[in-house]
Formats: sequence, C-alpha cells, structure tokens
Amino acid sequence: MNSKQEDSIMERAAGLAKEIPPSRDLWPGVEAAIAETPAKASEKSVFAPWFAQAAAVVLLVGASSGLTYFAMKDAGSSSAPVVLSPDLVFQQTSFARYDLGPGFQDARDRLSSQLAQELKRLSPEARSEVEQNLEAIRTAILEINSALDAEPDNALLQELLLNTYREELTVMNRVGGLTQNVMTRNNGRRNDI
Amino acid sequence: MKTFATCIAVNAVACALAMPAAARDVNESMNAAEDGRVSISNTSGSIEVQGWSRDQVAISGSVGDEVEELVFERSGDNVRIKVKVPEGNRRFHDVSADLVIRVPAQSSLDVATISADIEVRGVKGEQDLQAISGDIDSEAFAGDIDAETVSGDIEVQGDGKKAQSDLQTVSGDIAAQRIAGDVDAETVSGDIGIADSSVERADLETVNGSITFRATLESDGRLDIETVNGRVDVDFVGKVSARFDIETFNGRIRNCFGPKPERTSKYAPGWELSFTHGDGDGRVTIATLNGGLNLCMD
Repeated sequence: MNSKQEDSIMERAAGLAKEIPPSRDLWPGVEAAIAETPAKASEKSVFAPWFAQAAAVVLLVGASSGLTYFAMKDAGSSSAPVVLSPDLVFQQTSFARYDLGPGFQDARDRLSSQLAQELKRLSPEARSEVEQNLEAIRTAILEINSALDAEPDNALLQELLLNTYREELTVMNRVGGLTQNVMTRNNGRRNDI
Repeated sequence: MKTFATCIAVNAVACALAMPAAARDVNESMNAAEDGRVSISNTSGSIEVQGWSRDQVAISGSVGDEVEELVFERSGDNVRIKVKVPEGNRRFHDVSADLVIRVPAQSSLDVATISADIEVRGVKGEQDLQAISGDIDSEAFAGDIDAETVSGDIEVQGDGKKAQSDLQTVSGDIAAQRIAGDVDAETVSGDIGIADSSVERADLETVNGSITFRATLESDGRLDIETVNGRVDVDFVGKVSARFDIETFNGRIRNCFGPKPERTSKYAPGWELSFTHGDGDGRVTIATLNGGLNLCMD
C-alpha cells in the first residue's frame, strides 16, 4: 500500500461515524429498568447514588454506542463496525468476554467495592447468600457468553447478556442501598418523623 | 480469702455475661390518625402488624434486655416505633424484639428490619416493607406494596383490588395471590409464582429460579417474562387476547394455543414461537436461555 492510498483510507476512516446507533432504540427501556432501582433507593437512602447513575449512564452509553464485539472480533480494529443484527449491534468489550467500556468496568468495580463495605455489616449467612447469588449471575453471564460463541449473531442471547449485566448492577445497587437504609434506620442516625 | 472472693466475683460476671438476657414485656398504646403513616424498625425477632378499627396504635410483645429503648412517638399523622440498639452495638448482635403492632386499618406502613420477619394483616394503605434476611408476608389491598428483602421470601395475598406490587428479593421465593393491577417481581435464585390474579402488566424476572403465572391477563395487558436458567409455566385464566413472542435458546416450548414453535436455526438448539391469539391487543414476551416453557390456557 502506498502512502497516497494510506492517506485516503485514513481520511475515509476519520470520516466514519465513531458510533453506530441501533436501528431500533432499545435503550430507553433498559435505561428505565436500570434507573428505576437507583431512583427508588435514593428515596430511601443515600447509597452511592452517583455510582448507580454512573453505572446506568455508562451502561447506556456503552450499549447505545453499538455493541460491535462480534463484528470487531474477527474483522480487526481497522475495519468498520458491521451490524450483525437488525436490532442489536455490539461493541468490542473485555469484561468477562464483553466489555461495555472502561467506564462501565470502573463503575461496576466501585459499586462492587461499596457493596463489599455494606456486606461487612451483615451476618455471615446473609453475606454468603448475596455473594452466592452474585456468583450465580456471573455464572449466567459466562453461560450466555459461551452460547454466544456458538451463535454470535443471536439477538436473544445478546439481549439476555445485556439484561444479565444489568441484573448484576441492579442487585449490587439494590442490596447495598437496602442494607444501608435498613442499617441506618436501625442504627438511629435517621429520623423518620 | 480475698483471692477466693475475687474468683467468685469474676465467675459471677462471666456467668451473667454468658446467660441469655431476659426479655421484658411491652404493652403500650397511643392515639393515632385514622389514615396516618406508621414507621417501624427492628433488628431481629419479628414484627406483626395488624389493622384494626380503632384510631390507635398499640404495641404488645417482648423486647430483649439488650434493647436500649423502645421508641414509640407521634408527630402529626406519623407514628414511629423503633427498637433502639445501644450505641456500641453496631453489629446488632443479640438484640431482638417480637412485637405485635395494631394500627388503624387505613394506615400506610413503612417497616425496616434486619433479620426480623415481617407479617402484615388487614392494613389497607400503602406498604413499604424492607428486610435484609427476614421473610415478608403481607395482605395487600388497594394500596401499593413495595416489598424488598435480600435472602428472605416474599408472600403477598391481595384482595383483587388494583394496585402496584413491587416484589424483589435476591435468593428468596416470591409468591403472590389475588393481586390485580401491575406487578414487578424479581429474584436471582428464588422462584416466582403469581396465581389467582388479574394483571394489567406483569414483569417477572429470575436468573436461576422458575416462574409460574396462573392468572388473567387483562385486555390490552402486558406480560414480560425473562429467566436465564429457570423453567416457565404460563397458564392463562379466562380469555386472553395478545401477541405472543417467545424464544428459548436451549429449552423446549410446549404450546396449548396451537401454533408450533420453530427452530431458530438448523444448527442451534433454540426455539421460537410468535403468534397472535384473539384480537391481539395485549402482548406477551417470554425469553429464556436454558429453561423450557409451557404455555396454556384454562
């Protein structure tokens, strides 16, 4: 390839949209589902609302910018993203097998760390139950990822994967918020009337 | 002799510390608004709330000796009951209270416990019930109910009046009967069962638990079910008119409505089923990864 061709390719690449909007906008529904729990939790507690909001925003941004993992996986990073399903497009990811972006990972880590602090206040049995259930969600994420290996353009699997990621955030946020709210009320720092 | 006396004293203190603390009885009441809000918090033990016809809140039961104080106060239409934990006891060990609380039937409730079970009977206002590891068992009427627990079960018995029911647990089961209106139910590893109900909108989600829906879907209603590994049983009671979109990656679909499911691909195990029954004004969507599903109508 000569430099003229290279310049031309680079110019065309620069002109490409950095994001591909989904042909059907699924994300308001996802946003509502994610935002519901933090909103409810924030009425009752102050459990890291910005973590939840950040996670929701990052998830939305990561998702709505087009999840092009499948397209990018084999095509290489210099290729233009390809829409594999009319409804869903995946972007390259790296958490588990997919990554909804470094912001998502960061928000998830912070939420996880905040939850770990709240879990210390629970009985060993309750803590263990929460941990086992989060593990069950992560196992489900891996299972779906495995299935996606066989059928990378399966819209059902893509939707289940996204919803299960959301479920993990929701459970972490809900358990953390609920624990903090209940503990705060029982600890006497909150005045109810 | 002095040493001997010291030993006796030390042993006595040790024995006192080792002995279970005695509970003390509680029996108090105060006037309250007919439809005010009653807020209750407790650590462990149990909370039983009963609606009654008097404009009074009454508490009976027992509290452990470790409980610093049972706060029982009123401000305007709000009554607060709080099992107060000593300042140093932040891990809430050995603090327990078993209380029966009678409230005006039209009251709304706000109950938060750590490991205490919550039982509500005959309270017609809104209910906001939260527990960490306690079970929640409530009768619901026209007031909305929001029940959340981490490792406990949730059971709601409605009376057929429309309301919003938000039921969320992590590892517990959710069972609702005779509810109406909208219901959101979510658990990770527990099962969800909705029976003898009539819903306008139901959103039921689990990761590993099974989901059973034996209820009426109202005209123009919506039923959304999603599970990763759970089994789904839907049995509509009465007529149903809806567009159905059902898909499973690795489960079987059994459909009593007639149309047969189709393979999503000849190389993959998935099945999908889309059809319209009746006028198709409602909507039913079901998605599973590994769970099989039964779709039927009484």
